[in-house]
Amino acid sequence: MATYPPPPQTQPGATPGGASGPRAGFWARFAALLIDAIIVAIVPAVVIIIGAVANSGAIMAIGYIVGVAFFLFYEIYFIGKAPGQTYGKKALGIRVIDFATGGEIGYGRSFLRLIGRYISGLVCYLGYFWMLWDKEKQCWHDKMANDVVVPVSAYPTE
Amino acid sequence: MTFDVTDARGAAAAMLGGAALLPLLPGHAGLPCPLRTLTGVPCPLCGMTTSIEHMVHGHPLAALGANPTGPLAVLAAILLLLRPPARPFAVPVAGVVAVLALLWAFELHRFSFI
Repeated sequence: MATYPPPPQTQPGATPGGASGPRAGFWARFAALLIDAIIVAIVPAVVIIIGAVANSGAIMAIGYIVGVAFFLFYEIYFIGKAPGQTYGKKALGIRVIDFATGGEIGYGRSFLRLIGRYISGLVCYLGYFWMLWDKEKQCWHDKMANDVVVPVSAYPTE
Repeated sequence: MTFDVTDARGAAAAMLGGAALLPLLPGHAGLPCPLRTLTGVPCPLCGMTTSIEHMVHGHPLAALGANPTGPLAVLAAILLLLRPPARPFAVPVAGVVAVLALLWAFELHRFSFI
């Protein structure tokens, strides 16, 4: 398990009365989410289209199952292990770290974070927008998994 | 509630850009309300995507009908992008709660719950 130094509590990116260190902004997180959504949609979409063209309900069903499985793997694996980056987050130069240690959050908390994303979306997507006024720029799912999303420029990967 | 100016402007740009692009997507995709999908009960912001989309495309009356705060959100977003405040700005929580409560009453009435 890779380890990282804990998040600096008072570093240049810290703002008085604000986050304890540099945090990924809304735009970077939103753009990363869009890229990831496209990536996880491509594989099942291809299978489902093949099923539709072949007029095969079985192939289409496989497409849906593959889609769910790939989505779970993609989110849990890439967020859970160091450096806490999906391809979308990598493209935007941000990553997910443990708020307490600065290391990886692990697969269990990554799964919890994924569950938390559904809770974040449940009430008008309020849990996603929470980062706009949260001191540490955490969404509800970040709080559930006790992580923060940070810029790689301030928290470089090994 | 204190908003970071950069984040708020990012959200504003995403909202306006999304509203402009949504009609161009295959199937005219939208953001379904999870609460209404699961329970049938609308949330205070139901109709917001439609409202903002109408407003961005120059249909303010249709926007008001879908959700009365959509036009306000669009105007606030434009203001944030054109005249950003110099420092983080605060919005009173009580005001937000009051607006959401009124909106929820509107939505519950619109969907014939009250």
